[in-house]
Amino acid sequence: MRPSRGFLVASLFAASLSAGCAARLPEHVQAVSLPSPEVLGVTAEDSAPKADLRMIPPEAYMRTYLQLFGGLAPLDAQKLARGKEGAQLFDNWDAYVSALGFADYRTDIPRLTQTNALMVATFERLGVALCDRAVEHDLRAKPPMRERAIFAFDVLPAPGVMDEGAFGARFDVLHRTFLGYPRRLAPAARTTRFFQLYRDIVGMHRTADPKSRFTPEEAGWAAVCYGLVRHPEFHLY
Amino acid sequence: MISRSRSPVVLFAAVALASLTGLRPAASAPAPAAAAGTRTLDDYRHFRIASIDLVGRIPTRDELAAFERPDFDWDRWVESHLEGSAYVERLTRIYMDALRLEPNLNFTAVPSQLYRQEITGPDGKPVHVLYRGGQRRLRESTDGDFCLTPDETGLVVRPMAAAVGTPKKTSKKALDTYTVEVKPWWLYRDYKAEHPTERYKQGWANPDPQFRPVDALLDEPNGKPTMEVRVCREEAHEAPEGHIYASGRAKPPPTSSPLPGGRAKAAPVDTAYAIKHKGEAIACDTREGLSMAVDCGCGRGLERCTPNSGTGDTPAFQYPNHMPLGPDLPLDSAGQSALRWYPYWWSREAVHFLGYLFAEDRDFREVLTGKETWVNGPLAQFYKTVQRGACCGPEANFGMHGETEPLFDPARVPTDLLPHDVDRWERVADRGAHAAGILTMPMYLEKYASARARAAAIYNDFLCKSFSAGQAELTPSEDPDLTRRPGCQTCHATLEPLAAYFARVEPASYVYLPESLFPQKAATCKKDKAGKMNGACNALYDVAFFDDKGPTLRSAHASPAHASAGPVGAAADLTRMPEFASCAVQRVTSSFLGRPTTADDARLLQSLTKDFVRSGFRMRSLVRGVVLSDEYRRANDDRVDAPPVGTEAR
Repeated sequence: MRPSRGFLVASLFAASLSAGCAARLPEHVQAVSLPSPEVLGVTAEDSAPKADLRMIPPEAYMRTYLQLFGGLAPLDAQKLARGKEGAQLFDNWDAYVSALGFADYRTDIPRLTQTNALMVATFERLGVALCDRAVEHDLRAKPPMRERAIFAFDVLPAPGVMDEGAFGARFDVLHRTFLGYPRRLAPAARTTRFFQLYRDIVGMHRTADPKSRFTPEEAGWAAVCYGLVRHPEFHLY
Repeated sequence: MISRSRSPVVLFAAVALASLTGLRPAASAPAPAAAAGTRTLDDYRHFRIASIDLVGRIPTRDELAAFERPDFDWDRWVESHLEGSAYVERLTRIYMDALRLEPNLNFTAVPSQLYRQEITGPDGKPVHVLYRGGQRRLRESTDGDFCLTPDETGLVVRPMAAAVGTPKKTSKKALDTYTVEVKPWWLYRDYKAEHPTERYKQGWANPDPQFRPVDALLDEPNGKPTMEVRVCREEAHEAPEGHIYASGRAKPPPTSSPLPGGRAKAAPVDTAYAIKHKGEAIACDTREGLSMAVDCGCGRGLERCTPNSGTGDTPAFQYPNHMPLGPDLPLDSAGQSALRWYPYWWSREAVHFLGYLFAEDRDFREVLTGKETWVNGPLAQFYKTVQRGACCGPEANFGMHGETEPLFDPARVPTDLLPHDVDRWERVADRGAHAAGILTMPMYLEKYASARARAAAIYNDFLCKSFSAGQAELTPSEDPDLTRRPGCQTCHATLEPLAAYFARVEPASYVYLPESLFPQKAATCKKDKAGKMNGACNALYDVAFFDDKGPTLRSAHASPAHASAGPVGAAADLTRMPEFASCAVQRVTSSFLGRPTTADDARLLQSLTKDFVRSGFRMRSLVRGVVLSDEYRRANDDRVDAPPVGTEAR
């Protein structure tokens, strides 16, 4: 009977393997020095420190957040943020601590210095809670201006009266609050884009069915607030 | 010598909290800023990053308005913010990120741990009885065990596990004979009084906010407030000293004999030491006081002990799991095990110590050399009595029956701090001869539990060096000396001599081994025929380094001189090295710039280091230099049109 093809291949393989593994001394490679390579050109290396985007530490983020919440302690802010909606608007700080990038010294987990999807989602959730409660506290309840941490201005009664100039003056308050500089120094189109956002949201809320718990103007300002509290400049140095 | 003032860190935290909660007035309407037009975007950005670093958050609108005024003085603003809680927190965070001094461990000193067992009273209702595991008692049926027998309670009681058996009514006679009611420190502020009356949340109306026993310690099984706790009589002894007890039992009973009282395991037999020293005085807060005396207890109001709300690992006190902004602003609160009570306060001590160094702008070398510390009530309780329970096991074989040279001398602990004074911090100017900054604090010693780990931590964190293996060829070797073994020596040639500084501090402990009792070479430790030593010798001495004089003290072989010098010597030697200053400068500068320093920062680092040393190693001077530098102003500016360093007006 003729041996199978597979048997022949296996046999050849085994033979070559045993030949290769036959007892012999390992090859000793003699080191030789090589001539220096020819220089074809010189390029300067830029070793200057590279500035890069850097997140503010989670401690600074949280202190800022609490300050914008009216200077409350974390557990008080949590209670206020949850309000009647409970976990629909705000879970609890325990749920957010690791997502925000805090270090855990007990388990030697270092602080996060870069964002990830969960962190960005947490920023969004915290930002929405802050803005919604600020709308309720500042715009709806209308306390004295000195008690308004975010919306320190009056909402005009009708959108038709809100031109870009009136919007801009109010947007400047929010721009300073969240981004730390006046809007006049921001990129030129920023005010226009946010004004368009405001008008779009107001328009949508006028025709929405069922109605939102916010008035159209409140919803418009809430949207502007969301945009700024989630802006990269708010989270970066 | 002992300051009674509140910790400056606490005061600054209180001021910060007041400023956080006292609202700054919001701008009433968008008003034109007086000098706003003169500020550039870069000016605002610079102010923002300085606020984040020195105030701890982004600037408010009011702060921006002040910044925009023509009379805003940048230098004065920076100077005024080189103090206060935000500044302290900023610097503490740099070193906590490196050292990570928070516990993930349980701690128990057996003489100080009270467990709680529920039995059935004579009326059929549940009764809680506190006891210590291993407590010596006169009755053979309960010696070394719970004070009521299984025959009396129906239960075989076990400290670290649930009791076994069917509970039955315990007679009133047994309860009255073998237990007593006490008003303990966790329930009464005036527990030391003859008749304490200031009960928690009743007569004691304003306990420290952070002192919160769990509900299980405050209420009886029937839900009524606990006014007294029932404890085994031996545990209620108050004297600081007892007497060595010898029962007369020289050997355990035959295994076939039933044990008295229905107990599950035989009573302890007398050790040779107990027989020889019967009746002699012994300190009650040592391990031997528990294991050798029937008249050693937990002291007045049980102040030498901490309670559990059950057997094993059960909650005792409420405190936060997460408090990244400090204990005044916790993110949660949970009932925590008594086994985590002291580790929690060890961490707070380390943070307090660091905060004190930065708040008072002390010479930064004191982080390693400092004799002082801050303690509150639980820490005072720990250092005065509880820590003494860590000694002595194998040490007793070398003649040490209680700590003779503790890292923190109990005599220096403030006497007016009570175990429940959690919010009151007092400075202890000098912990004793062996104290060396954080190197001899329990948190550091437990976090870095071995001599090598302790050495590696200071090498990394205070000299900014790391160990990296070389490319050596690894030839097989059984040389126990890693400073010579091929492949190992690249790291261990440095690590072992550093580790030797900690040879006299027991691993996973803070018991100091004095040279008088624990010489470099132990002539009394002999090898058996198999080449091994007995347990006590093996625990403290290394048979791998055995010569004609005997084995070598563990971790000491690479440098006997360092072993003799101890952590104090480590602190002195390391802070004299030029790398200590340059590492501190590099670490702080890198943190403020938000990036590792490079060769291009050499000029800045050199200048800062020179100033840092000249200022006496003061952090305030260093941070001022960093914050006022052009590199800081330009840090994290990724704009393509950003002007180069040094070309912008302030």
